[in-house]
Amino acid sequence: MIVNFLILLAGLAIYAGYGLSGLAYILAVTGLSYLAGRLIPKHPWVLWISVMFNVVALLVLKLQPLTGMEFMAPLGISYFTLQIISYHVDVYRGKYEPERNLLRYGLFVTYLPHIFLGPIERYDKMVPALFEQRHIDWDGVSSGGARLLWGLFKKLVIAARAGVIVSAVSGDPEQFRGAYALAAMLLYAVQLYADFSGGIDLVLGVSRMLGIRLSENFDAPYFSESFREFWRRWHMTLGSWLRDYVYIPLGGNRKGKARKTINVIVTFLVSGLWHGVHYLLWGLFNGIFVALGDKCKTRWKTLNRAATFLLVSLLWSFFIWPDSMTALKMIGSLFTTWNYGAFFAGIGTLGLNLGEWIVLTAGAGLLWAYDGLRNRINRRFYTLCPAGRVAVIGALGLAVLIFGMYGIGFDAGAFIYSRF
Amino acid sequence: MKAKLLKNVLSVTAVVLAFLMLLSLATMLLQPKYMESLVEGSMISQYYREAGGHDVVFLGDCEVYANFSPMEMYREAGITAYVRGSPQQLIWQSYYILKETFQYETPKAVVYNVNAMRYDAPVSEAYNRLTIDKMRWSDEKIGIICASMTEEESFWSYVFPILRYHSRFDELTGEDVAYLFKTRDNTWNGHLMNKAVNPVENLPAKRILADYRFSDLCYTYLDKIRTLCQQNGTELILIKAPSVYPYWYDEYDAQIEDYAEANGLKFYNFLDYTEEIGIDYSTDTYDGGLHLNLSGATKLSAFFADILSGQHGLEDHRQDPAIAAVYDEKLRLYDLEANQ
Repeated sequence: MIVNFLILLAGLAIYAGYGLSGLAYILAVTGLSYLAGRLIPKHPWVLWISVMFNVVALLVLKLQPLTGMEFMAPLGISYFTLQIISYHVDVYRGKYEPERNLLRYGLFVTYLPHIFLGPIERYDKMVPALFEQRHIDWDGVSSGGARLLWGLFKKLVIAARAGVIVSAVSGDPEQFRGAYALAAMLLYAVQLYADFSGGIDLVLGVSRMLGIRLSENFDAPYFSESFREFWRRWHMTLGSWLRDYVYIPLGGNRKGKARKTINVIVTFLVSGLWHGVHYLLWGLFNGIFVALGDKCKTRWKTLNRAATFLLVSLLWSFFIWPDSMTALKMIGSLFTTWNYGAFFAGIGTLGLNLGEWIVLTAGAGLLWAYDGLRNRINRRFYTLCPAGRVAVIGALGLAVLIFGMYGIGFDAGAFIYSRF
Repeated sequence: MKAKLLKNVLSVTAVVLAFLMLLSLATMLLQPKYMESLVEGSMISQYYREAGGHDVVFLGDCEVYANFSPMEMYREAGITAYVRGSPQQLIWQSYYILKETFQYETPKAVVYNVNAMRYDAPVSEAYNRLTIDKMRWSDEKIGIICASMTEEESFWSYVFPILRYHSRFDELTGEDVAYLFKTRDNTWNGHLMNKAVNPVENLPAKRILADYRFSDLCYTYLDKIRTLCQQNGTELILIKAPSVYPYWYDEYDAQIEDYAEANGLKFYNFLDYTEEIGIDYSTDTYDGGLHLNLSGATKLSAFFADILSGQHGLEDHRQDPAIAAVYDEKLRLYDLEANQ
């Protein structure tokens, strides 16, 4: 209990570090949502007030660019809000009893390691993980430590390097089109995955070391053979949240094919809006591709995977360039600007020298190999003797220390997905 | 059960030690060696091999390590001197270096070049590194780091240099391997010999400043240097080394003169002695008048050596067999390099 209390206090202290108004918002909403949770079983209308309040709060945050309002959102408000909505809906549905202990509830909604990036946890999974199943042992400490360093490797060695090229290209859309745009899209796919999943690895690694098991958020998504599969393996906790609290309430697949297609597209539009108003078009395209299902699949796995990866990468354009029109233009430039010769001749001028390119390529290759063999590697890790595990941790630590991009000029604490 | 536990503890300890050794090796390999390129970075550490027995210690920036040659001062007047200069050495850095020097020896005189009074804030991380990186760990090193860090620097990157130099993995050269475990002297008692001749051609325009006053911070450290010298019974001498670049203003000079007078210190502005010294900026500078070359340093050092022995009573050690043996051999090698 003391450890949990300390985690809660540390979390609140960090919230306070990001601004006292943010801390006040988090504390007030935590208290109010706790009370609302207690009231919902007897007064179901409280649920609608809670949902409306939280949705409006999210909309105000996400629609900032349209309204012209500018304010500093409280740290992790997106994940914080989604957790509260799911808790209240589940209490309303009678899935579990409302939490009586305010401290336990407070730790559930503000548990700091995952509030920056996710995963988005449900009450019935998180509370037992925090309070009942927590057990610190050598397996947890060693595997958590290895996972934490693997996350740092992905973030600092791979994502940071890929980001150099992406930033150089996206900074000048007039000059860098065609082959440059394609390189930026493919590298952004690598960067975003390494950055986001690396951040999740940090969260899961730290939690595992503390004896807390959180949900996985990625399952080698770039090995997917279709968009539908991709969205089952990418940001899994957001996907399952949208399924349970948007797609199924809309009717899911229970009301005919046409309605199912509409529901899928609406769900992805909500997902787009959750990322920000600029991402609505991205959500629409994803919805259409997911609705198409497996219709475009061939019998060649590799071809399916390559095609899915390429399409996903093209759609990341909406994340790379600052507005939808520029993103569409850059996708169009792939077919209208044929400058591959100039691209390869000037590849060294984009911010990475040969050594950096080798490290980036080797790092991405390692990530790809790990994703392909992850189950076997993870099983093998647990069969290693303590010295073997320490050797793995040491090797990862050395690789991060030497090949990581950090220090002067780098903001190693900035994760792409923390802005959502 | 016990035997298994012991085996695990021993094997984990062995692996941890192996990784710590690897980490140390990686750090040593990745740190700049400052032996063949950017040799200015190794000057501060060369002192440790020769610490002790100096009557005069110079402190300051490039104007001291380029312009003053202790070898010539010994040849001229038998004075034993060492130049603890480094590029863009700021006044708080000079203070901590002086404090460290007193841990090793108590010179009769400390000569401080006041050029750094112009700067009241850390200038650049690169210059900090050249001065601090190779210092031995001590209270003074901690002090100099804390006083010198720019906003973007972190203390821990000085404690664990791999945090700063890890990105050199693709810049490693033969120098990094050759000097992995060894080092060499690049200076002559802290003097960086430069024989090139690049006469004065174009000088930058003199800038008009809004405020010519030295900052309180610089005066605070100048006071600290003065107090430290007093406490150790060492005479503090202020100088301004010669340079034809228009960076030293009359207003600066007046402030230093006032300070020297108020505190009973001697101040020599060698800009006023160019003719007596015999400096010829068509032959005595290696960079168009900013610094003196070997020829200029030889003239200036001899001139100043005469002042030190004549007016400050510094001893002539040329008749001391132990000292003469060391310095005569050094002079032989120095002349060999000078005449190469």
